Parts: sequence; C-alpha cells; structure tokens
Amino acid sequence: MDVRLENVTKRFGGRAAVDRLDLAIEAGEFIVLLGPSGCGKTTTLRMLAGLEDATEGNIFIGGERVNDKPTRHRDVAMVFQNYALYPHMTVAENIAYPLRVRRAARGDIEGRVRAVAGLLEIDGLLKRRPRELSGGERQRVALARAIIREPRVYLMDEPLSNLDARLRLQMRGELKRLQHELGTTTIYVTHDQAEAMTLAHRVALMRGGKLQQFDTPINIYNRPANRFVAEFVGSPSMNFIDGQLERESRTFISGGLALTIGESELEMLSAREQVTLGVRPEHVELSMSEREGWTTARVHVTEMMGNETLVFLRLGGERIVARAAGDFRADIDAPVWARFDTARAVFFDIDSGESILKSG
Amino acid sequence: MTARAAKYALLILAVLVTVAPVYWMITISLKAEVDQFSSPPKWFAFAPTLAHYHDALFVRSFGRYLMTSAVAAVASTVCAMVAGTLAGYALARLRWPGRLDRRLSLWILSTRMFPPILSAIPFFVMMSDLGLRNSVLSLVVVYTGMNLPFVVWMMRGFFREIPREVEEAAMVDGDTRLGALWRVLLPMARPGLAATAIFCLIISWNEFLFALALTQTDASMTLPVGIAGRVTQYETKWGVMSAAGVIAMLPILIFALAVQRHLVRGLSLGAVKG
Repeated sequence: MDVRLENVTKRFGGRAAVDRLDLAIEAGEFIVLLGPSGCGKTTTLRMLAGLEDATEGNIFIGGERVNDKPTRHRDVAMVFQNYALYPHMTVAENIAYPLRVRRAARGDIEGRVRAVAGLLEIDGLLKRRPRELSGGERQRVALARAIIREPRVYLMDEPLSNLDARLRLQMRGELKRLQHELGTTTIYVTHDQAEAMTLAHRVALMRGGKLQQFDTPINIYNRPANRFVAEFVGSPSMNFIDGQLERESRTFISGGLALTIGESELEMLSAREQVTLGVRPEHVELSMSEREGWTTARVHVTEMMGNETLVFLRLGGERIVARAAGDFRADIDAPVWARFDTARAVFFDIDSGESILKSG
Repeated sequence: MTARAAKYALLILAVLVTVAPVYWMITISLKAEVDQFSSPPKWFAFAPTLAHYHDALFVRSFGRYLMTSAVAAVASTVCAMVAGTLAGYALARLRWPGRLDRRLSLWILSTRMFPPILSAIPFFVMMSDLGLRNSVLSLVVVYTGMNLPFVVWMMRGFFREIPREVEEAAMVDGDTRLGALWRVLLPMARPGLAATAIFCLIISWNEFLFALALTQTDASMTLPVGIAGRVTQYETKWGVMSAAGVIAMLPILIFALAVQRHLVRGLSLGAVKG
C-alpha cells in the first residue's frame, strides 16, 4: 500500500518535532527513516501508526486520509524498539493477539500462528513466556506478531537496536529477505546508517524535524544533498576541507594543501571563491614514498581492521582519514604522501552547507 | 556474629510485641471466665472451651454482624476498585491539558488529608435525609468514597510502571483502549490490583467510626461496632468479645494468605523497576 505524508508537522508545545514533512512512499517499498536522536523519525512513525496526532498536514495510507482514524482501524503493524511483548501471555498467545482481538476463528488462528512461527523459526518456543526468551527470540516473536495479520504497512522502530552486534547483522539480512518475500510496504526507523544503507530501497534522512534528503542509498552516499547528510552517512565520515578556488591555476587551496580541480567541476562551482571540499576516506590514496604532485602528510594514528586500515593523517591544520589496504603499515608520525580523487569529491557551499552538484 | 544475634533478638522482640495481644485475645476467647484474669496468668495451661464462640455466633448477633461487615467490605472494595482503577488509568495514561492530571490527583488525595471524623456528621445528616441510616448501603457508599483516593493513587502508580509501548502495541494490533486495558494492562498489574484490594478490604472491614455513627440497629451493625457494644456500663464480656475478635480476624487472614504471593510483589512493585 502506498503511503503519503503531505506537509506534516508535529509540535510538542512550541517545538516542532516534525517540520513540514513531505514523503511519497510507493507500495512495496522498504523505506528507512534515518537520523540522529531527536530528529523526528520516531515521531513520524508514531503519527503513521496513529499513536500521535499530526498537528498539521495530511497522512494517506493507500490513498485514504487517515489523520482521524484511530490506531486500530489503520491496519498497520508496528514493531517496537523494546519489543513490547505481552509478558503474561505465552509466545503463541502473543502472536495470536492481533487475530484474537479481531475475533478470528479459533482453528484459523492456530494454523496461522504455526505458519508464522515456522517462517520465523520460533515454532519450538510457542509455549514459553517472553521472560524466558533471549533478546533475539523476543525480536522474532515481535516480528511474528506484526506479520501474522498481513497489514497494509509495517512500521518498525529501531527493532534491532537491542540485539548484540552479531545477531543484529543476522537479523538485518533476514528482515530484508522477509520484506522481499512479503512485499509489504515497510517503514523502518533507525539511527544506524549501516542499517539504512543495507535495508532500504530509499532512505529518508532527517535532522531537527526536517527532511534532508530522500533518495536511494547509493545516491545518498555518492550525491549527498548537504554536508550533514555527507557526514552522517559513511563510516568513517567524509573528510571536509574549507578552502579557496584559484581559477587560473585550477586549484583548490587550503593551508599547505593544493589540489588540482577538473574543468567540469570548476564549471559547476561557477563564480564561487570559497567552498568546502568533501572527500570520502576511500578516495584518499596513500603512498609511503614521495610522488610527483602528491601532498605530504604525517600519520596521526592507524587503525588496523584486518580487511582495511584506517589511516588518520595530519595535513596542515586539517585532520584527514584515509581508507587504505589491509596490509598498509605506517608508524605514528611517519611521513606519507596522499592523493585526493577530486573527480569524486563533493563540493559544498561554505556558508549553507548545501552541496553543489553536477547536473545529471 | 553478635551483630547477627542482636538483629535476630530485635526481630523476635518485634514479633512478640505484635503477636502478644493476638495471642492473649485468642487464649481469652478459649478460656472459661474464671481463668481469664487469674493471677498469675495462665499462659498455656487452661481448660479450653468453645462456649464463647457458641455464645457469640448463636446466642448473640455476631453472625449477623459478620454478614453485614462482609457485605459492606466486599461491596465497597469492588466499587472502589472498579472506579479507582479506571480513574487511575485515566490519570496515568490519557493526555490532560495543562497538567490537569496532577492537579486532579492531588485534589483526590486531599479528601484524605483531614480527620475522617470531620465528615462523620455531614454523612450522618445526608444518610438520614436519604433514609439510608441503619442500612448497609450507607456503609458501602461511605467506604467506597473513603477507599477511592487510595485506589486511584495506587493504581495510577502501578499503571505508570507498565511501559507505554505494551499498551500501544495492543492498540496497533487492533484493540480498543478499554480492550487493551482489560486484556493487557490489568493482567500485568495483577500484583498491584491484589495489594490494593486487600488494603481496601482491611480498611473497610475494620472501620469503626462511620459504622458507629451510621448504624445502630442489630440488623445493620458491623462487627467492630458489635464487639465494642459488649462493653457496657454494667459488664464487659471479654470472652465473647475475644471470640468475636478472632472471628473478625479470620477472613482477612485467610484472604491475605491466599493472595500473599501477589501482595509481596505488589508492595515492592513501586520500588523495583520490573
């Protein structure tokens, strides 16, 4: 079912938690609302569920305006961060609850509970109570309870954040697969950019109640709308360097750093003299020996991850992080030479932080 | 070691102080009148008799008082629990403009801030006008009002302990607010319900002041009033009074033992986050 938010605002007291939000979500899409805590993503989800009223604007589910519809008639299912299982009921009763309150036939309920439990591999736990389950098992029960009645939309509020790292990764994959199989529109809230990138068809990045960018993960990563988006997505974060453009020499100058800029980039930057250059760590190439045209820097510290090495550099007054191969070794304070792939860099307006994008 | 011994000594002393009058009452209820105040007192060795119990239940009207007390206590507890639980829920969960919920809660509590005797006379006049004097209904009404603030505050506290998400999950799952309250919240608050109910029951069961003011006839008297009535200007029937006291104690004791598990959890629920 398609979901649409039109100019939706939610104010608590005088503060706007969600500020004139527009989102058009297509049927079957997996959408992730991403942002730091307090950005309004959970409030947005709760407005969709009907747990909060929108102060202004319209919310549509399946083309129907649902602003005034009580939660129970919206036909959405929600998975809560702390699972919100019913502690006094068994797993089977928990999963059956949405059907029970809809007065489904008893035999029908039993069959569907078994089917859903089988799908999520919790059929062995049906007689237990939530307190006897591990975090991962509780998570599955919460999911089972959500999917048993085939709602129009799934709403998920950081459902993986209470799991340990290994389980989180596993459940992430399963969740993606499950959504693919069910094909139900899913709106998923998280502050974890890795979850957003891996799960979403499209990511809506929010900050301070305002939508920053609504696009595919790859576009969010490669063509961030502004400095905030660029900084929030990607780990380690993008490097930002403020500097001047010298048009005659086609260089970007900042402290001791001078980078040659391509013709098309320069054209795109038009008459600007000051810009912020953003470059991802993987677009900074390193060499232990001096090379023609490369910039000299010193190693501040290295972090060996096994598959890659993160190298933190001091370059003039700037701190730069570069992603090097797993076998890259350098001592602290050793001299290195760096090359910036300016063709893949992103430029930002130095005042507004908005990105200056190539057309097309 | 000595600290431990001292701790136990203190505990034993506390138990003795608490239990001694009860023990004394039980023995008096079983002693023939000659043994009751013999000197030195007969702590253990006496010929037990059930004569006072027979006297209390079959000769005098204590059986009837017992029924009146039971009706007044149970009916008022049920009324106070139903109304107070709903009010406590509303104050804990619904959205109130301008923190009205806090003001209302305090206002509700304020009805317990003055000595109850202040309202005894107005109640007496009101009940007389309504023709409810000497009827158990008047006691049900008064006890309900008396217990209501207590129930509201207790249940408000218990509901606040329950994470909001659980209730929201129930509503997203398709339940109404009242359905969620009935199917999810109340079962979760069961220890709290049990603890609150037993307090109400004890308070109503033992209430003396209003019962004395509002009921004078044998047919409408409660146990405490009936027992006190055995102290007259000419004699004090210690045996019968003690027997009646034991009888009065039993139902509450049995109920408390039955719900003990809930009671202990209920009393500690406020302190420890579940």
